[in-house]
Amino acid sequence: MTALVEVEGLRVSLPGPNGAVTIVDGLDFTVEEGEIFGIAGESGSGKTMSALAMLRLLPPRAIVEGRIVYQGRELLGLDPKAMRAVRGNEISMVFQDPMTSLHPMLTIGKSLTTQVRQHFGVSRAEARKRAVEMLAEVRIPDPEGSLASYPHQFSGGMRQRIAIASALMCRPRLLIADEPTTALDVTVQAGVIRLLERLQRENGLSVILITHDLGVMSTAADRLTVMYAGRIVESGTTRRVLQDPWHPYTQGLLGALPRPDRSDDKLVPIPGSPPTPAMLPSGCAFHPRCPKAVDRCRSEVPPLELISGDRIACVVATASGAIESKEVRS
Amino acid sequence: MSSEANALELKDVEIVYQRRHRTPVRAVAGASIAVKPGQIVGLVGESGCGKSTLARAAVGLVAPSAGSVLFHGEPVKPLGLRSRPASLTGLQMVFQDPQSSLNPRRTVGSQLADALEIVRRTPRSGHPARVSELLEQVGLPASASSRYPHQFSGGQRQRIAIARALAADPTVMVLDEPLSALDASAQAQVANLLVRLCRDLDIGMLLISHDLAIVNQVADEVAVMYLGLIVEQGPTGELWRTPRHPYTEALIGAIPQADGEHSQPTVLPGEVPNPAAPPAGCRFHPRCPLAFDRCRTDAPPLLTVEPGRTQACWLQRADVPA
Repeated sequence: MTALVEVEGLRVSLPGPNGAVTIVDGLDFTVEEGEIFGIAGESGSGKTMSALAMLRLLPPRAIVEGRIVYQGRELLGLDPKAMRAVRGNEISMVFQDPMTSLHPMLTIGKSLTTQVRQHFGVSRAEARKRAVEMLAEVRIPDPEGSLASYPHQFSGGMRQRIAIASALMCRPRLLIADEPTTALDVTVQAGVIRLLERLQRENGLSVILITHDLGVMSTAADRLTVMYAGRIVESGTTRRVLQDPWHPYTQGLLGALPRPDRSDDKLVPIPGSPPTPAMLPSGCAFHPRCPKAVDRCRSEVPPLELISGDRIACVVATASGAIESKEVRS
Repeated sequence: MSSEANALELKDVEIVYQRRHRTPVRAVAGASIAVKPGQIVGLVGESGCGKSTLARAAVGLVAPSAGSVLFHGEPVKPLGLRSRPASLTGLQMVFQDPQSSLNPRRTVGSQLADALEIVRRTPRSGHPARVSELLEQVGLPASASSRYPHQFSGGQRQRIAIARALAADPTVMVLDEPLSALDASAQAQVANLLVRLCRDLDIGMLLISHDLAIVNQVADEVAVMYLGLIVEQGPTGELWRTPRHPYTEALIGAIPQADGEHSQPTVLPGEVPNPAAPPAGCRFHPRCPLAFDRCRTDAPPLLTVEPGRTQACWLQRADVPA
């Protein structure tokens, strides 16, 4: 596999009343061609900000540093016009709420055809044909007829599928899906996830899937990165991260999930709440909530270490030797 | 069980929304639910199935078109121009989004004091102490009272909304999707809080949610709703292990498991039909993998299949004469 996007040292800061606040602090990851790459974490961990930074959709006052290399091109250095040619065309995005991401006063047909006409200058009839194809692809019944309909005439699940169709109109190589199923019912969610997987399999689409739902992650993502307070705390194959989590935070997230096989009615949450970016704890940002924290965690920011292809930022987990010994066993 | 034992009882509630020049929508087409003190009853279903409408009717925010809502045996009067009778203050509601149900411009303490002022159970001088007590009950420090809602995380805000409902010393709380806007960890915290309040204070809770997994974890009883009708009801564990209705089965099957195995949840085909024009026969038949001829013509009644469990599906009721 070859890398489609390489993100190196991505930092996002926003000006605050008491100076700049760092929201995303040194993010590194690579998305391979044709893979579904997951970014997980609680709200406020910087998942969405990273995605918006990649597409340069943040307001000008946001300070974005680092490198985002998409097929040899450095996106942060592109001039606005060149960036516009990438955005929506080669990399496009699906947002959480399909009610707000589709224009309520434009017909589905208008919404879908505008960008493809803009990017490729194709004729109206051709754009229309493509819109019908895409709507059929995402399994909207009567794609021809729905072009004249407005977003409010569809259910939430259908609207999200239309938003995906719209994002795919220009045949992007990379789709960034930010919580695409969070606003949907579980029954509909399964359909949207399958759609993303089918597009990955059949069209070789790469997807960055951002979600806090580890169940959704488990069904769809090939590799998974877990973020906490603007940093990566752990990454690896979805199977390894979910079956044998190394970081106490990942362990805590998995422990908090309801499990059908657990009969007692007590869930095990992570104590406390995520910190606000303006007031990050010293050392490892997770230490105040961590059951395994030692003195070192309070003073030292744990480096993101590479261990047999997977990454982990926890001094306790790496020092214990538990990670290496597990690998010897398997 | 006699109806007196129920803290909240909804009997054959029907809610019809009238629309000008258009067919009325029967959002709830006859639903019965009972909540006993110290019991959590979960009400699950997809969006648009009428669960929130039913929840609003349970506290009197919507007037039922037929049927009755009883709070400790007393009919719940729909909210009107007059102030709510004092006897109903023990029936409280918590909404989905604490961001919009709390006033952003006032401190948490003053909003809780408001609630105390309205119910007038505590003398004014006792308010500060009671506010601290309420915050403590939901696991927040007393210092939270001088802060504003935006200074809290989503989970903490939901606790504040719960504390405000607790100010009225409720015996019944109706919670409309109190967990769905929260992250997994905050969700687990608030879910545990609800269970503890229910047990410690003997509060009956009607918990509305679209997430069967979390309801399975906290509720004692579950009612599954589809397009305005309850299709299955029973003790949580049994219903989860042996779902009798194909819809319940589909809801359980659609929950993705975080096991790292890429296991695929079952896709339930189709969409929830328009409640203004529900399908004939069983309302679920167009999406049901097991539907047969009878399902298309006759609506299955909600019948008791074994003590404490009811369900509405022809498949298990082949013995019942038409």
